[in-house]
Amino acid sequence: MEKTGLGSDIWREIKRGYNFIFIQDMPLWVAGIALGILAILIFLWRYPWGISSGYGNWGQQLYYYLGFGKWVGLKKAPLTPWMHPVSVMNIGMILGATGASMMKNQFTTYRAPGREYVKGFIGGALMGIGSSFANGCIEGGFYTAVGVYSMGGFMMMIGLALGSILGVKYLIWEMLNWPVKIPTQKPLDCKKTPLINWCKVYPYIGGGIYILICLSFYVYSAFDKTVIGGMAFFGLLVGFFMQRSRFCLQRTFRNPFMTGDYEMVKAVILSLIIYSAGSAVIKYGFFQPDTHGIDHRFWLGSLLGGFIFGLGMVIAGACASSGLWRAGEGNTKVWVAIVGFCTVYPVTKYAVANTALGPFLGKGIYVVNVLGWTWTPVFYIAFFLIWYLLAVYNSKTEKFVISF
Amino acid sequence: MDDLENIKADILVDCRGLSCPMPILRVKKELKSMKKGQIVELWSTDPGSKKDMPDFAVKQGEEFLGYVDEAGYTRYLIKKGG
Repeated sequence: MEKTGLGSDIWREIKRGYNFIFIQDMPLWVAGIALGILAILIFLWRYPWGISSGYGNWGQQLYYYLGFGKWVGLKKAPLTPWMHPVSVMNIGMILGATGASMMKNQFTTYRAPGREYVKGFIGGALMGIGSSFANGCIEGGFYTAVGVYSMGGFMMMIGLALGSILGVKYLIWEMLNWPVKIPTQKPLDCKKTPLINWCKVYPYIGGGIYILICLSFYVYSAFDKTVIGGMAFFGLLVGFFMQRSRFCLQRTFRNPFMTGDYEMVKAVILSLIIYSAGSAVIKYGFFQPDTHGIDHRFWLGSLLGGFIFGLGMVIAGACASSGLWRAGEGNTKVWVAIVGFCTVYPVTKYAVANTALGPFLGKGIYVVNVLGWTWTPVFYIAFFLIWYLLAVYNSKTEKFVISF
Repeated sequence: MDDLENIKADILVDCRGLSCPMPILRVKKELKSMKKGQIVELWSTDPGSKKDMPDFAVKQGEEFLGYVDEAGYTRYLIKKGG
């Protein structure tokens, strides 16, 4: 029989609230709205949201401390991963996802077939090359680029779609012609009770991670690094919303060609409507310089970069942002993909930026400088509408779905 | 859940260790050659399958019968629709 009384009632409500926030499935559109708002706040806080430069920082550590700093243009030690703002945000995302997956008891590390790890590394390396060409990953080069009115975002979108088509074709070919051997697993078994029942302990560790990251904000502030502390906090929130809803930018481009599914397309469009409206306010109101973050190589770099990135993300099974939250919930193949990204990206980024290739691939073009504030909103509304209608048409007719 | 545990599937797709999107692709491949009313069973370790598989089945016009958590993986059952 259920206990009654004020104390029991409050406790029941708290449990219901916990269940609502941390356990129940979160719809994609909720995360789409939340990420649009967070992207605006990150823009106001520091700079338009990106991920790849954080991976670049991690890779730079490797090259610098192994004595190959000149390969990545380093004369002195790079910023430490806990002082580089984007690296800190990425770490926040990983831990945010770890915490969320632990609280839901979804955290699991399982062994993938050996070939999957090779694909993870190659996919990660391709994403690193693509990001160097486009001067941004799917997150900075597409999502944020469209959100802050950079032409490169639209060109990268075309490249991402073409790369995804090739990636899906490869996966289908591999499935039909090159069967994979499923490894034996020794995963966590919640039904047995070993020395420590991790299924009972994980939610507490997850909650502890969230408390520690919130506290880290105060630690950074104490050292006069409030901006960096804020990045950890934003990362935590982004990781939480992405993992809870399984918000995956890769799926936006891959699934329409694989099954016709367009749930992510709807969520991304909703998110971008909020982000672009918010950044219009920021830019029009001069809260940040209006060409802040318009550095995507339009058009060849964005197109080629998008294509290479799109192929890489489908092979790796994750993109730059979903890589972080999938790594956080224990996906070992994605860890290897991140290693591939970090190993290749700093070298190719330095090579592209310091040779004639960089200018050849293009430069940042601000949409508002081309269309003015009168026509830019019209262009954006038309763009979102056409993208949505195409996705719906494809879902109903499967016209663009790759058959096998 | 008792009913689900007793269902005998016609085809088993073992995707343990494989991550998104392979469980969907491999089930889609099997469904193509299945007859109406036949059941495909997927074994997956990917946490995303719990959301992906019901959505995929509905989108394809199949019947998602449910899932059962086993030690370290989850069994998903899908009945081929008309």
